[in-house]
Amino acid sequence: MLVKLDINNFLYEVEVEPRETLINVLREKLDLTGAKRGCNSSNCGACKVLIDGEAVKSCGILAKNVESKKIYTIEGFATSEGKLHPIQESFVEAGAVQCGYCTPGMIITTQALLNKNSSPTEEEIREAFKENLCRCTGYVKIIEAVKLSAKKLGVNKNE
Amino acid sequence: MSKEKIIGNSYPVKDANLKVTGQLKYVGDMKLPNMLYAKMLFSSVAHANIKNIDISEALKVPGVRAIATCFNTPQTKYNSALRFFEHDIPKTEAVFPRTVRYVGDRVAAVAAETEKAAKEAIKLIKVEYEELPVILDVEEAIKEEAIHIHPGGNKVIEMTANAGDVDKAFEECYRIFEDKYEVPPIHHGAIETHVAIAQYDYTDKLTLWTPTQNTFAFRILLSQIMDMPLHKIRVIRPTIGGAFGGKLEMTIEPVAAILSRMTKRPVKLVLDRTETILTTRVRHGAVVYMKTGVKDDGTILAQDIKMYTNTGAYASSALNVMGALSHKIYKVYKIPNMRFSGIPVYTNTITAGAMRGYGSPQVFMAQQTQLGKIARELNLDLIEIQKKNSVEPNGVDQRFNSPLGNPRLLDCIEKGRELFKWDEKKNSKTEEGSWVKGIGMAIGAHGNGVFGAHRDVITLILKLNEDGTLTLITGTHDMGNGTVTMQTQMIAEVLGVTPDKVETFETDTDACAWNLGDYASRGVFVEGAAAKKTAEKLKELIISDAKELLEVEDELELVEGFVVSKSNSEKRVSLSDIAVNSQKVKNRELTVIEDYASPAGLTSYGAHFAEVLVNKETGEIKVIDFVAVHDVGRMINPISLEGQLEGGIQMGLGYALSEGYVFDEKGKPINNSFTTYKMFRTVDMPKITTFFIEELEEKGPYGAKSIGECAVVPVAPAVCNAVADALNIDVNELPIKIKRGV
Repeated sequence: MLVKLDINNFLYEVEVEPRETLINVLREKLDLTGAKRGCNSSNCGACKVLIDGEAVKSCGILAKNVESKKIYTIEGFATSEGKLHPIQESFVEAGAVQCGYCTPGMIITTQALLNKNSSPTEEEIREAFKENLCRCTGYVKIIEAVKLSAKKLGVNKNE
Repeated sequence: MSKEKIIGNSYPVKDANLKVTGQLKYVGDMKLPNMLYAKMLFSSVAHANIKNIDISEALKVPGVRAIATCFNTPQTKYNSALRFFEHDIPKTEAVFPRTVRYVGDRVAAVAAETEKAAKEAIKLIKVEYEELPVILDVEEAIKEEAIHIHPGGNKVIEMTANAGDVDKAFEECYRIFEDKYEVPPIHHGAIETHVAIAQYDYTDKLTLWTPTQNTFAFRILLSQIMDMPLHKIRVIRPTIGGAFGGKLEMTIEPVAAILSRMTKRPVKLVLDRTETILTTRVRHGAVVYMKTGVKDDGTILAQDIKMYTNTGAYASSALNVMGALSHKIYKVYKIPNMRFSGIPVYTNTITAGAMRGYGSPQVFMAQQTQLGKIARELNLDLIEIQKKNSVEPNGVDQRFNSPLGNPRLLDCIEKGRELFKWDEKKNSKTEEGSWVKGIGMAIGAHGNGVFGAHRDVITLILKLNEDGTLTLITGTHDMGNGTVTMQTQMIAEVLGVTPDKVETFETDTDACAWNLGDYASRGVFVEGAAAKKTAEKLKELIISDAKELLEVEDELELVEGFVVSKSNSEKRVSLSDIAVNSQKVKNRELTVIEDYASPAGLTSYGAHFAEVLVNKETGEIKVIDFVAVHDVGRMINPISLEGQLEGGIQMGLGYALSEGYVFDEKGKPINNSFTTYKMFRTVDMPKITTFFIEELEEKGPYGAKSIGECAVVPVAPAVCNAVADALNIDVNELPIKIKRGV
């Protein structure tokens, strides 16, 4: 079946199988490989994408069900001029990136959290990230990166 | 200590911008033109002879191009943990064995035009097994009557290591403690699963892309298995999505290579999470018998350690891990009489291999948890008993009477005591409803490289470009731990530029010089020192050329991209001018190729402190505060050190409380997905405080030594001791399980 997907402000028309997951379409058909496949069972969060402002595990959702929704993958975060998004900057600066495999999912989760709560407490951050696994960082620097993102985006808002 | 400008400052990993934008391509992200997709069939039984494999129906699936089984592939035996060309370790594994030895062993593989077709074909392969008795337990496996999993029996080897006269010393002890400890196999949990792409072409050349820590050894292994010369095999390591030792040993790579040779097309093989948990490598499970004799003040007079490690189905790292831990246990205490004997044992479970800590987490869990018990029973403060026994900065290895370098274990213990507020917490033990608090601590150690065991060597190539920038060609394998970033820091420091002026080309067997591999915490101590030495060699050439260009005999220094006279700063020439002059006038490229061999096998130390809440009714355990102090000689990149340590703590807490393979009676792991295999998540993590002791290690670059593996070693025993303290009980196994209503 042919579906229309609005991804990173670009409209894709793509042939999908009825039971095909969004992660499969992104990675195998559209070559948007930023979203990673860590478990394929909605447990690690590496495949998260932003759908209508919410962080959604793209391995657990069918591509045909996200037509007419606004989808952002990690590839849609930096500007076309190559400037990093403030959340991306924060992850780099805080040292929250090691192997990087969980990072796209972590950044998506950060955006979704900050959409709802512009200055989350540490407890709220931990709760929001409980479905994102990382084996490298111990999460300390990821939580710092989220706090830094909130600060940067808050500052940007006031400008 | 502070004259350096780059060393000691924080730098994010070099490829962070690529990682946060999704631009960096991991092997799973790559596609080659005309590429086939592979899927594997794994053994559903733990021990059986394969009588027949019927692939006739599978071959009929449209798009299927090749099916590999034990009946049409090489039966060459190899050892997946090979390190170098003539490395002599037991060869017990074949790519597709005729006898399967664990649930998850390789039975067949299909290459097809699509992954869907490959999956469909896998389901149609019919295997006829002649089932054999299954042995899952190491102590069952070493019994006389046990069936042999490999010819010659189930003991891979018996190792011993001795110092002093243990039996005599036990006679003089005030008390002797004898305990048994058990730890399970665990999963590495790198978020990237195992993946490989192989391309066998019409020049009979094999190119392999794989996220490995051991590129050069993979080339040798493939050469042995595929019967191909080394120059016809090229192994490339693109980005690694986490490894922790799990990508040191070869697992699926020859499968992709064989299918590619059968089809003469590129073949991509990606394991999913369950397959990775079932079939790659694990940390050795172990049974440890620990006997310790003490004086009444807690001084340890003698220690006797008997240990069985579960090597699983194949020999793999059986010898290396046992050998490594038998050394490390001698480097922490001043115990004059110590005896160690270790037996790695085959069982019908997943093959054990390298994992961060490489034996240390198992043996230190036992030793440190028993020390906690000794402190409780003798009514001594655990910190006092630690200090009484710990090695001092001028200490020696009791076995060889050789100096240990500059071990700062005592400083770690003291600093941790202060940061954790040990004394305060000790005197304010609280109970709230069914929750009771406990505190514990443990020490741990790990090596810096493999000096004395293997050739601990790396060769680097460094080029000065025409604009004064630099290109480093390095056979290192950065797993996200910042090894490459650290190498660029070393080079930048020596050559007076910023690290962003150093680009890297990494780990391709056709283009890089040899490196032993990235494991054994070689990063800073060996590879960092190599980068420093290589840069110093280039600096000599640069200064020599600069003297000619400037026509001076003054002492020169390299500052911000220039070579400058120390006596007259107006006399200067840029690195760019030197590079151009070298090409134009001297007819040579300013490039150095430099070998570096590690000069010593030194040890890193850490002391960890844990505060836990234990629920007496439900048995639930929460870690609420964690302090970790490490002796790293010198901080090269603080943000990277902190990140390594914090990650090590996450891994260690999982080992303590939630991880561990659970097998059913037929040998199948029950917890084979991230739903059931529980790693620590954000909500499980305690408050963490880290601190680093910077007392220089003479033989380390800028005084530095490693953190990567040592970070994980003391975590679990610190938690064991805290739980034991909370309930005043003995803890003898991981993951710690407390019975309800204790």
